[in-house]
Amino acid sequence: MNNVKLLAGILVFGSLWGFSECIIGSSLHETGLPTGAIMTGFFAITFLVISRMTYHQPGMQLGMGVVAGALRLFNPFVGCHLCSALAIMAEGAIFEVFWYKISFDFRELKTLTMQISMGILSAYFVYIGGYIVTQILTPIISGSGFFVENLTAVMPNILSSGLLPALIGAVVLPAVLLTKKIDLRLKDHLYYPTTIGVSAFCWLFVVGNWLLLT
Amino acid sequence: MIMGKEKILPIIAMTVLLIGIFSTIYVHANQIEKNSIKINGQEFTLDQLFSIGVMRVIETDEGEKTGVALDDLITMVGVGCTQCQEYTIKAKDGYQQTVNWEILQTGILTDYGRVYFPDAAHTFWVRNVIEIEVK
Repeated sequence: MNNVKLLAGILVFGSLWGFSECIIGSSLHETGLPTGAIMTGFFAITFLVISRMTYHQPGMQLGMGVVAGALRLFNPFVGCHLCSALAIMAEGAIFEVFWYKISFDFRELKTLTMQISMGILSAYFVYIGGYIVTQILTPIISGSGFFVENLTAVMPNILSSGLLPALIGAVVLPAVLLTKKIDLRLKDHLYYPTTIGVSAFCWLFVVGNWLLLT
Repeated sequence: MIMGKEKILPIIAMTVLLIGIFSTIYVHANQIEKNSIKINGQEFTLDQLFSIGVMRVIETDEGEKTGVALDDLITMVGVGCTQCQEYTIKAKDGYQQTVNWEILQTGILTDYGRVYFPDAAHTFWVRNVIEIEVK
């Protein structure tokens, strides 16, 4: 796969992830549902696994996290959400590291037990990893400084908060792997117009939402 | 190698679930139920704080929020050299965040016990506040 094609893939999957965080995440937040758990356990795991399944390229999920985090960070609809943006970027990186030893054809994940286990572990560590990273980086970037005792005090809450995403991930990952047989590849002449079009839609929709509401 | 993963991953997954379950039990068991807020060692009810404090309306990215000004509360409880201190805001579930005076003086405490800061990340918006420790 050439680099331009991979970059377009990173852009479209990262934009879809960022779009769901900004638009669907904001709507879920207003309903009082556990937004973070749903966004990671369902949306993040879905986009990350589908992209890995489709492109088979190392580093892609890291790039997706950067794109999605950037969309969240510069999302004018709900203002600057530094913690969410950092968490998303960290989630992409953690997923990348966590799946490093898993082959791109997912041959280790043939049994349902393995799929459920990987769903639990991926969602749990991606979620709590993102949470820990924001607890460290947000105070530093905000200028108030990082205090180890704050992180220590919050650790039980962090470890507890990963439970719901883990349970969601246990269902979502096997469900996503069921789509493995569907051929998601696009013909070459449709690939770039589709990926760039979908990415542009995600970014313009987020910005347009803000323009309409202000 | 694959056989190894097939044995280890489910065990680790079960362990992770147990960690999540026990952490949830721990957090709920250790919640501090009280109707007062300790500020610099002194206990106040929310009603007391709202009767003695100055009300302030701030604009956040989640809309307008009204509450009692935190800088005013800190001054009223007798903290000297407010700029020299750090302020740790603690919640009943154990969550806590530390802010400096620059951030604290922009914040409010609402009548449902949550602090908001207009320009700081949501990480600092502590819910169910039970203490503001001055250090």
